[in-house]
Amino acid sequence: MKRILIFVTSLLVAVSAMAESHATKPTLMVVPSDAWCSENGYVQDFDNQGTVERIPDYKRALQSDQNLMLAISKINDMMADRGFPLKDLESNLKSIANRTAEMNVTTSKSGSTIAQSPLDMLKNTAKADIIIQLGWSVSETGPKKTLTYILRGLDSYTDKQIAGASGSGAPSMSSEVPVLLEEAVVDKMDEFTGRLEEYFNDLFDNGREGIFEVRVFDNGSGLDLESEFGGTELSEIIDDWMHQNTVEHRYSQSEASENYMLFEQVRMPLMDEKGKAMTAKVFADNLRKYLKQTYQIESKTANRGLGRAYLIIGEK
Amino acid sequence: MKKIVLFLVTVMAATVCMAKSSADKNTEQWKYDIECAGVGAQGTYLVKVYSYSKSQAKAQKQAIKNAVHGVIFKGVMGKGRECNSQRPLAKAEVASQHQDFFDRFFAEGGDYAKYASATGAPETSKVGKEYKVGVVVSVQKDQLRKDLEDAGVLRGLSSGF
Repeated sequence: MKRILIFVTSLLVAVSAMAESHATKPTLMVVPSDAWCSENGYVQDFDNQGTVERIPDYKRALQSDQNLMLAISKINDMMADRGFPLKDLESNLKSIANRTAEMNVTTSKSGSTIAQSPLDMLKNTAKADIIIQLGWSVSETGPKKTLTYILRGLDSYTDKQIAGASGSGAPSMSSEVPVLLEEAVVDKMDEFTGRLEEYFNDLFDNGREGIFEVRVFDNGSGLDLESEFGGTELSEIIDDWMHQNTVEHRYSQSEASENYMLFEQVRMPLMDEKGKAMTAKVFADNLRKYLKQTYQIESKTANRGLGRAYLIIGEK
Repeated sequence: MKKIVLFLVTVMAATVCMAKSSADKNTEQWKYDIECAGVGAQGTYLVKVYSYSKSQAKAQKQAIKNAVHGVIFKGVMGKGRECNSQRPLAKAEVASQHQDFFDRFFAEGGDYAKYASATGAPETSKVGKEYKVGVVVSVQKDQLRKDLEDAGVLRGLSSGF
């Protein structure tokens, strides 16, 4: 009787745990496209180790262009109506600024500041798992205006376009840009969300697609990806692990050297065997634990969102 | 007298059955064309449905049902720069996966009628032995999608997360 009770209780716990398991929800955010920012002068130049790079200045764009705010807000509303609220770009930029300000003034009683690595600082930007880029232009022929727009959903990690909508509105004499923009966005949104839905379905069927990089710390230990363990090179051990742990063994090893391996189109399961949501970081941590437990190799993991992770061999 | 009454009742019952089976047949065949008819109010599609039947009245009656069916399963064909094509709310296999639900949904007096209304006068022409009746219908696609998601027929964007 006691055994039956234990069995039934275990079954109930397992069922309820499975029922509560959910995959980690990707975040989406609408941003103006780079081309739109450049065309309208909302860009800033920065010196990237001697090379001048031009990056979009979202903050200035939002503060200066009323139409942009309206377009973003409209898309946010429509996605919220579909039960998928988006991250708001303006709020995200404000919270980053507030967080940075708070971190700069936070000290311990002994006067220590909060530790921040260069990587932490680099990561402190507006980001989402899926970026929806929006751009438009208005052309005038006589008294008539025509609005041409483009909406692209991009996977931040694989850089693949997962949804898109574009087109030109009907030429109009009286309509203002916000009205034309609203009409265009409303009319194309079902097409866009339909594609997004297909992407999510693929995610559930075939796992989340991610990118994994393996690098080696230059610490003079002599350990690299060609080091052998029981006659097998470390790169082969990692490749075998990928083969065993990806959904239907789907992944491709795009680059490999003694110091670097790049795995693309890695399909990782959305849940691990315990029903815990899987992200690129969790996936990379599993590889890190495997290398530590089986070959006593120390390594460090880092991630960029849900779909991109790094494993650096050699030390923590 | 009793026999006459019995005969009349039998004839009437047979007529009703035949009418019903004819309507059901039309429904099962889903013989219609659907295209956009302009930009509808937010949350709606404005579509023009051409239904075919030997009876003009029946073709007209089927318009609402066909419009809702078209929005769910066929999608809406675009019309140049006037209005864009719209993809169907569901994939074709959803119909067989949830056959019981859709049998009830599209039955006479079913829930489909809640989501659409005809606007303007019907446009009738004769094609061979059949009537082709074009009716402009406004379909509340947002509410329709939401209710189908709530019923578990369609998967919401957030399902599984």
